[in-house]
Formats: sequence, C-alpha cells, structure tokens
Amino acid sequence: MKQRRLFIRSVILIVMITAVGYTFYNHFADERGLVDQGDKAPNFVLEDLDGNRFELQELSGEGVYVNFWATYCTYCRDKMQYLQNFYEEYEDKGVRIVSVNVNETTLQVERHKQRQGLDYPLFIDRNMLVSNAYGVRSLPATFLIDENGIVTERQIGAKTEEQVLDSLSELIPSS
Amino acid sequence: MEKVKCECGHLNPYGTYLCESCGKPLKEEKGKVANMRYEGVARRSQTYKKSPVDLVWNFFSSVKVGIWIIVLLLVTSSLGTLFPQEMYIPPGENATIYYEQEYGLLGKLYYQLGFHNLYSSWWYMLLIASLGISLVIASLDRFVPLYRALKTQRVSRHEGFLKRQRLFGESNKIDNIDEEIQKAEKLLKEKRYNIRRENGNLLAEKGRFARWGPYVNHVGLIIFLIGGMLRFFPEMYLDEHMWVREGEHEVVSGTNGEYFLRNNDFLIELYDEEDEKYQDALSRADGPVVKTYQTSATLLKRTSDGTVGSETELEEIKDYDIRVNDPLTFEGFSLYQVDFKLNELSEFTFTLESETVDADFSDIEFTVNLNDPQKTFEFDNGYRVEIMEYFPNFIIDDNREPTTINRIPDNPRIIFEVFPPGANEDEGEISLIGIQVNEALNGENDHTIRMTGAEMVDVTGLTIRKDRTLPIISLGGIIFMIGFIQGSYWHHRRIWIQNREGTLLLAGHANKNWQALKNDFQLVSDNTHIPLPLDQTDKDNKGVSQDDDRTK
Repeated sequence: MKQRRLFIRSVILIVMITAVGYTFYNHFADERGLVDQGDKAPNFVLEDLDGNRFELQELSGEGVYVNFWATYCTYCRDKMQYLQNFYEEYEDKGVRIVSVNVNETTLQVERHKQRQGLDYPLFIDRNMLVSNAYGVRSLPATFLIDENGIVTERQIGAKTEEQVLDSLSELIPSS
Repeated sequence: MEKVKCECGHLNPYGTYLCESCGKPLKEEKGKVANMRYEGVARRSQTYKKSPVDLVWNFFSSVKVGIWIIVLLLVTSSLGTLFPQEMYIPPGENATIYYEQEYGLLGKLYYQLGFHNLYSSWWYMLLIASLGISLVIASLDRFVPLYRALKTQRVSRHEGFLKRQRLFGESNKIDNIDEEIQKAEKLLKEKRYNIRRENGNLLAEKGRFARWGPYVNHVGLIIFLIGGMLRFFPEMYLDEHMWVREGEHEVVSGTNGEYFLRNNDFLIELYDEEDEKYQDALSRADGPVVKTYQTSATLLKRTSDGTVGSETELEEIKDYDIRVNDPLTFEGFSLYQVDFKLNELSEFTFTLESETVDADFSDIEFTVNLNDPQKTFEFDNGYRVEIMEYFPNFIIDDNREPTTINRIPDNPRIIFEVFPPGANEDEGEISLIGIQVNEALNGENDHTIRMTGAEMVDVTGLTIRKDRTLPIISLGGIIFMIGFIQGSYWHHRRIWIQNREGTLLLAGHANKNWQALKNDFQLVSDNTHIPLPLDQTDKDNKGVSQDDDRTK
C-alpha cells in the first residue's frame, strides 16, 4: 500500500516535472536554427552580379563557407575582409566561399564590392528565399558545409580573423 | 503509520478525524460542533513525512502554499504592468537606455531586475508551473479521500457524530417514531432528496455532485495551464510580423519559405463626412475617422519544381481582401491586418540644369527606383549621370562613414556623378542628394541635379498567427465554468433521522446555504411530530433542545 502510494506520487511528479522541464528547455535553450549542425544543407540556386548561375549542389566534394551578409552590417564587413585575404589560398585547398547578400539593391552590392575590393563572387538573395530556407534571422550568419553537403557548424555574429581561419581550415576536405 | 479501527468496525487511515463509515469522532476536538471539512477524513498529505517524494508532495499539497503562490503571482503580475514590457516600447528604442531615460531611477531598476520581460522570465514561469503542480497535487489529495468518504458513508451514524452536527435535535416524547420517520421520508422524497434506510434509520441526501464542483473547476484550470504551456512547444504557436510593399511579395515566416504573400493594393477608407448618418459622430472626432484598413493580397505557394533561390517558382493559391479582424487563413496560419505605413518612397525623378553651361537640358529627366536603382543614365546630348553610392536609410556611422541602417528607403541619399560630354572618368561633378539635401562634394559644380518628383507606395503590416492551443485553452475555460457553476448553484445537504431505542435523533449538515436546509427541516417539522433541530452555533442557544412543544 505504502509502496504503491510512493509509486503513484513519483509517477505524477515525474510527468509534471518533465512537462515543465521540456517547456523551459524550449523557451530558454539556445534556439536551434532551422538548419543547424548535422542537417543536410538545403540546395539553392543564385546568380552572381554578372548573372552567372550557381548551385550549391555543384560544390559537392568541396568544403563550403556560406556567409549571409548585408552592406549595413559592420561585422559582416570585417568578416568579408578576412575572407578576401584568404579565399584564394583556401580555394586551392578545396574550400569555397559563398557570400549571400540579403536582398539589397544590386547597385549597393556592386558598389560595396568595389569599395571593399572583394574579388570573390557575391550573390544576392532576392526576396530572402535562401535566407528563409536557412532560417537566417541575424547577421552575419555563417554555415559551414562539408564535402558531403552536411552542415558542420552554424555561426551567428562577429568572428575574429583567427576564428574565420579556423573555420576555413576545418572545411578542407579530408580525402 | 497504523490504521485506526473504529468501534463500528471500519478501518480508517491514520489522521482521520471522523470515522469514514459511522462518523464517530476519533480525535478529541474543541467545541460543540465537529469540523466537517473534507468529511473529517485524513488528508493524505498530512500523514506521511518520509521520503523526499513525500516531502515535495506535502509541500505542494498544502493549501497555504497554494494561496501564497497565487498571491505572489498576483503581485508580480501587477509589477509587470508598472511600465511597458519590452515588446511594447516604441520600435527602434534601445531597452538598455529607454527605461532609465523615460522613467528615471525606477525605470533603470525595472530594467535591471528583468521586469521588462517579466512574463517570460524563468522565475515567473516557475511560479506558474508551481501553481499548476500545486493544483494537481492539492486537488488529488483532497478529492480522493473525500470521494471515498462520501461513497462509504453509512446511514446509521454514531451518536457522537450526530450530536456534534451544527443542526441537531432529539426527542423521546414521540409515540411512534418509525411512523414519523416514514412521513418524513415521503416529504423529503418530494423535495427530491435521495433517501437511504437502514435499521429504521434514515439518511436523506441531496446535491452531492456539487461537492465535485471545485475539483472539476481545478481540472479546467489545469487544462488551461497545459494549453498555455503548449505554446512553448514547437509547431503549436506562432506570432510573427511582416511588411509587404504594394506590388511586391514577401515570404510568410514560419512556413519554411513555402508561402508568400503579394500585396496588390493597400487602402484606407474613411467615413464620409457628408453622410448624414455619421455627421454628428464625425463632428465630435478630431480628424477623419477610418472605416476600413484593407490589403488586397494574393497568397502564393512555392512549386515543388525549381530549387530554392533564383529559380523558385511561385503559383497563386488565392486572392483575399484582408481587413481588421478578417484574416486570410490557410493551413492553420492566419494573416491579420495590424499595421500600415503610408507613402514609403519608391521613386525619385530628377532633372539636370546649369546656370553656367549653355546646353539643352530639356530632354534630361531620369527616374531612380529606390528599391532597385539603375547604375548609369545616358542621354542623347552626351551627358551621363552615374550613381556612385546609394544609401536607402542614410546615416553616418561610428567610423564617420556614410552608410545605411537597413534596406528600407526611409531616408534615401544618392551620390551622383555628372559627366558632361567628353569629360574624363575623373572629371565628374559629384553631389549628394536626398530629401531637402543637395550638396556638391568636389568643389563648385557647374550642373545641378534637381529633384522634380517622388513616387510613393503604401506598405501593409500583417501579423502572422498560428495557435493550435486555442481549442485546449477554450476547453479548459469551459470546464472551469462548469465546475464553477456546479459548485455554486447547487449545494450538498444531508439529513439524518435515527431511532435510538425510543429517542429520535435528528441532525443536518450542509456545505453552505444552511437556510435552505433549515427550511427543509421546517417542512418536516410542520407536517410531522419530529421537532425542529437547533442551530448549535447560535449564541442564544444554551444547548441542545430536548423537547419541542409542538410535538406534544
């Protein structure tokens, strides 16, 4: 009788605590991105400023550094400068940089490219289709995609030059 | 803990005040009247104090604790209304400084204590969770024993039980007690009492189900809280905002980039001031009064073919006029009209003129689309105008560099470079142009770019809402009300009449509305020789009535 009472009480308490715990976890845990570590990177197609078609799938076998940015985002500017310094070196090692602007005007992106002296291609995400598919809410947002098309890391916010370098090194395909 | 055996043979749990079966007081109590709360059963929580589980259980089982939780919730909830919550401060304001700026030291404290996000703070949510747990445990702990006690109650109660009821009377001057009880039974049956007889004794009971009212009410509350909790679960609840310019389409967030909304037209309709019907009312208003806010929208869906991005293809699903309280609904999502922005800049038109150069500028007119400006404009007379920089929402940033805050053309500035015929690449005249701004940037300019026109569009603000918890919350509310009515509009009454070897014992108990019970006794007493019981809580009563004159 006493055993049964303890059992019933424990079960009721556990059920309630689990429910409350799960609620708290949902509310306070670092929100998992729509696309996050371990997910397959959704394929997308964009055009660069010269109208060249680019499809993510075509880069399978290479590490891909997908960076979402805007001209008005200061941290993006810094990050893109670091990428400018290293992109050629890493392209030889099999790491590609895909720089996606979040729906600004072509003129702004072009001028930005000239002013900042960026040589790698810039893509404009018209209507934020790709940003939405990747669940991008704040900038800069970066997705590291390995040679198998799997997201290995999701990074939000400013990064130092070393951190960017580390990420690029991680992306070098192992084979 | 040992069980307590009553002389009637019933085994009662430890901590029982009145035997569950015959009602004999098992513990000495002060006062004339027995404490009938929960039928004098042992509230389980108060009997065991052993394992940690029991300790937690006992804590939440306490009504005192429950009431404190409610008090704390009321106090803290009201604190949250002292100043606006963070989501209600003017858009664009920085919460870190806003509260201090606006409300001084108190505001600063308010912000530092986290009261600006009070209702989603961990401790507030913990309080709500405690309330839920307390509701479940306290109700269970009381409902189960009470249910058992009312279920197992015997007709023949112990004399000690009857004597300690608030309404009690006895008489040994009645000749034929059994006959009188028979008469009473008939009367009470007409009053729709449930009658049980045992050895000539009588128990008349009515409205027992009202006793479950509070528990039904608590079940409703618990369901209500569960509904609120489910809002934090994925896919259950969504509350987002979107802005769509006229003629453009935007993705509906929360649909995984699946649905899009195109704003075909946004309009505000005003009440006609000429209309006699409204004239009086309108004359009292300060300005024009809005009749309708409406977005004529088209819902679009991404087709399965075509990869995300520039090859996305959209198909039209349906057209709808979204008005206030008349949302566009699809697949559990509802788009509500909540906001608008009139006259967002979309195009500037410029001309070129000069006071010093003798040339024909009459053909030079060009339009800059502020949402997708063209890079160069070339003209027949050899002139060329180039846009060097474009800032949709101009600002000088911390590094003293011109930049834009975002991509919305609220304060557009354009840097133009004008090349007269034959000019070299580095010979252009540079000027910065915006609303009421026209500055030459590299010395005196021979040419002036003059803004001659501006086009504007309206932007609609919609709320995207998905709420799968609403049915659960409504169900909780309905059950809450049912329990509330059940416990408020009916009340449990019992009448015991017993024949103890020539003495008639009479007692009554009600949970509330004693007057109704007394009226029922009055009816019995008027039509039989059974005396009227006395209210033992009346101060005027010296004691229990022994005889009633009317019986003679």
